[in-house]
Amino acid sequence: MKRKKQNKVDPHIRSLTKIVGESEILYKPEDLISYDCDGFTVHKALPKAVVFPKNTEEVAALVQYCHMNHLPFLARGAGTGLSGGAIPLNEEIIISLVKMKQLLCVDYENRQAVVQPGYVNLKLTNSISDKGYYYAPDPSSQYVCTIGGNVAENAGGAHCLKYGVTTNHILGLEVVLPHGEVIEIGGEGAPDSPGYDLMGLLTGSEGTLGIVTKITVRILKSPQGKKTVLAYFDDVEEGSRAVSDIIAAGIVPAALEMMDKTAIEGVEAGTFPVGHPPDIEAFLLIEVDGIMAGLEEQIEQILEVCESWNVREVKVAKSEEERSRWWANRKTGFGAMGAISPDYLVQDGVIPRSRLPEVLKEIEKISRESGLRIANIFHAGDGNLHPLILFDSRVPGETEKALQAGTACLKACADVGGSITGEHGVGIEKKEEMRFIFTEEEIEAQLDIRDVFNPYDLLNQGKLFPKPSRCMDVKKIVKDTVAVQS
Amino acid sequence: MLKELMKKKDASLPCEENTLSNYFAKDHPDEAKWADCVHCGMCLEACPTYLETGQEQHSPRGRVHLIKSVAEGKLNVNEAFADPVFQCLDCRACTTACPADVDVGGLIEEARGQVRQAMPLRGWKGAAGSFFLKRLFPHPNRMQTVSGLLKLYQQSGLQKVMRRSGAMKVMPDHLAGMEAIMPEMKASVQKTYKNVDLIPAKGAVKARVAMLTGCIMDVMFGDINESTIHVLTYNGNEVTLPKQQTCCGALHVHAGDRDTGRKLAKQNIEAFEDAGKVIVNAAGCGCALKEYPELFKDDPEWRDRAEKFAAKVEDVSKYLCDTGYVKPESRIHKSITYHDACHLAHGQGVRHEPRQMLQDIPGVEYKEMKNADTCCGSAGIYNLTNPEMAGAVLDRKMADVPEDVEMISMGNPGCMLQMAMGVQKYGRRSEIVHTIQLLDWAYQKDEQAAGKKG
Ligand SMILES: Cc1cc2nc3c(=O)[nH]c(=O)nc-3n(C[C@H](O)[C@H](O)[C@H](O)COP(=O)(O)OP(=O)(O)OC[C@H]3O[C@@H](n4cnc5c(N)ncnc54)[C@H](O)[C@@H]3O)c2cc1C
Ligand code: SF4
Ligand code: SF4
Repeated sequence: MKRKKQNKVDPHIRSLTKIVGESEILYKPEDLISYDCDGFTVHKALPKAVVFPKNTEEVAALVQYCHMNHLPFLARGAGTGLSGGAIPLNEEIIISLVKMKQLLCVDYENRQAVVQPGYVNLKLTNSISDKGYYYAPDPSSQYVCTIGGNVAENAGGAHCLKYGVTTNHILGLEVVLPHGEVIEIGGEGAPDSPGYDLMGLLTGSEGTLGIVTKITVRILKSPQGKKTVLAYFDDVEEGSRAVSDIIAAGIVPAALEMMDKTAIEGVEAGTFPVGHPPDIEAFLLIEVDGIMAGLEEQIEQILEVCESWNVREVKVAKSEEERSRWWANRKTGFGAMGAISPDYLVQDGVIPRSRLPEVLKEIEKISRESGLRIANIFHAGDGNLHPLILFDSRVPGETEKALQAGTACLKACADVGGSITGEHGVGIEKKEEMRFIFTEEEIEAQLDIRDVFNPYDLLNQGKLFPKPSRCMDVKKIVKDTVAVQS
Repeated sequence: MLKELMKKKDASLPCEENTLSNYFAKDHPDEAKWADCVHCGMCLEACPTYLETGQEQHSPRGRVHLIKSVAEGKLNVNEAFADPVFQCLDCRACTTACPADVDVGGLIEEARGQVRQAMPLRGWKGAAGSFFLKRLFPHPNRMQTVSGLLKLYQQSGLQKVMRRSGAMKVMPDHLAGMEAIMPEMKASVQKTYKNVDLIPAKGAVKARVAMLTGCIMDVMFGDINESTIHVLTYNGNEVTLPKQQTCCGALHVHAGDRDTGRKLAKQNIEAFEDAGKVIVNAAGCGCALKEYPELFKDDPEWRDRAEKFAAKVEDVSKYLCDTGYVKPESRIHKSITYHDACHLAHGQGVRHEPRQMLQDIPGVEYKEMKNADTCCGSAGIYNLTNPEMAGAVLDRKMADVPEDVEMISMGNPGCMLQMAMGVQKYGRRSEIVHTIQLLDWAYQKDEQAAGKKG
């Protein structure tokens, strides 16, 4: 009986199959279940279909079809997004870009490379490193996330403190607009093009303004040398004071990361432990890079600052191998939470660096009040906090508690003049929290911009902004969705 | 429909999950294993089948999600579930990549057990499977007979006739490929040492070890077993080859036949009860032996015995590196690269030791292979059951093998066959060798040199 049902294929599916070919579409429920969420697992819903275009023409044809037939659709890269941007809440057609994964060209002379959207971030650096170049934005998910997804989320990473986030490295984009037109912006290597900065607008638009099909990125010459320091503190506050003082001393580290005790417990239980002392309250991972000559001196200064804040122990990496071990330990920090908790919710607040100690205290209070453990991993250098709220979705009520704790953490950040997202985006997760930082009018104004690109709101519907003036309804919907989730 | 189902089931209390589970057979996937997965996706790019298909149900994250979905009652154990679960190469690359240490491989084996209990294989695949797995591999004497027949086939000239006759042309591609690379059969060590209880060490005795001779290894690669014995005795180890030992059962467990797996496991645990160390030269077998405790989750007595047994199991390269080995003096002038067998690198964390051994041989020009630890597509009998995927994975692998090497070395017989196929397919000249053979050849040269002098 079931078979018969499946034989009667939906006419839309048949038309979409014509565009991409038999093997490049999934529509059976069993196959779709793997696409019911991304790295944010609190909401789940099945798409109508998943299609795998091979080139821009196919993407444009798919988008045109959806537009003409009023079918909601969205783009998906590796699905590592942490705010639910790729979750098909409205039974979308998912346009997966993972088969468009070519490195199209590298122009060393002009220091740029052109990639397809499904090209994996780290692959770019791996393919050009033997020539002495690299691609700077390094989200911790860089082993798997796509550059298309990075553009959509304006992804940052540990080394963005010195080198800037994704938007600082994008030179040109080819985009399929929500009605199927293909446009190119930037790309000629001009530092600034006349007119509006469309590239800036599209980067970080979370897949709501168009689907990126080609990206020209800046590549950098690899630094001549790198030095990496690991500093252990018995007191989180002293650690965070050290962060401020390092920056105040005029040093611009390539990376300045911090983890607290619970986070350390996670990474030590995970796949890449490095043997951090178990009784330590926090560590700083500091890296400086540049021409060899200046590095020693910077390291000296950093050690001095750490000493002045009663550091228990500092180590300078003795080999590249040791350095990579430290970084693997740090970069797998989120995933490693799986080793100490069945579920986690990662938050992504930004605060002025100097307010770090007080926000940390507030987070500790939230943890106490909610009864949930919260681990903290930060890009401390740029004040980007990632509180990881540990919970077990199988325990009734814990998911809701975790969501509330998450909101409270963001409120704490907004209250000290910070923001609700540093790099993971708003997606579904932080829609409501947009109200912490924008007024109703400001949200309306941004929705007007979206409507210019995406007038029928078919592309990635219901993401990024709360529905204005109907906020009560939205809150209710969010609550209801939570209630039916596992 | 599924959607409604999801809603309905989700709306009920999550902790009732187990009563919702659609796993009806015994020995179901362990909740503690899938609960660790936080859906981060860090495993995606490590997975050969995901790289090939780009589809998430063929990724580790997708597979764990499917396995979990059945446990939550959102999916049934059916064809659509079986496909991704059986397309998995069991290469364990995801285990290395996963920051949360999720045992994806273990989950998949448990899921396969469910599939095979719910939907037993029929047709020729079922018949072929049960012939190899139930009637052949577990019976050393039958394996010996097959080996005898194969030897006859090769020596009688029949092989030449077959090859010339064009009969190969009508065989499916992958089988013809297999035939072309069938190694010349060597004497099985179980036969050679039939009446020997203890193979003595050369010189002072350091330790006594027992060796797993393996089923395929011993009939197809008897010479590698011989090399292993020689290298062990050369380094002061007395070697026993317990007669009661049998096939490790890896292939059965991979295929979802956990009952036969347990039977074989018990026999091996008993056969090696007196041994201090169990030395293995086939990565797949070593990994399976180390995972015996997984098979006895519900049987405390055997679980305990399996754990004691597993703790004694060691890959030969690791054992030699840990206990120290004589550095050979004779030169082997060859350019050599090394392929990490999945079940050594990902399964047992042995990466450094074989490389160390190769580089300790004077004259060897060692070349590291790009992506050395990605699967070659052999994966037990995967290359027979899923030839297309295996072929695609092999193509990817061969693209990474340095063009100009004279030898490709590795530590697993399945990989050796598969890589030999790759070499044949791409018209390369590299010879496929087991790492231990190289060390053995260098020792043999040393012995000859000493003999001449003495
Ligand atoms: C363990 C872990 C660590 C992480 N660490 C970091 C970090 O350090 N820094 C950071 O910034 N992020 C981090 N992230 C979040 C995530 O990896 C990034 O947001 C990344 O950019 C998402 O890329 P993706 O390919 O997975 O995109 P997806 O998750 O597939 O999609 C994300 C959003 O982008 C849209 N999108 C995807 N491709 C396109 C396209 N071609 N055109 C238009 N829209 C598109 C989607 O619709 C969706 O809204 C982490 C995630 C995980 C799981
Ligand atoms: S074992 Fe190998 S093929 Fe299977 S899911 Fe893991 S990485 Fe993929
Ligand atoms: S298996 Fe591991 S790496 Fe893969 S999604 Fe789950 S937790 Fe992440």
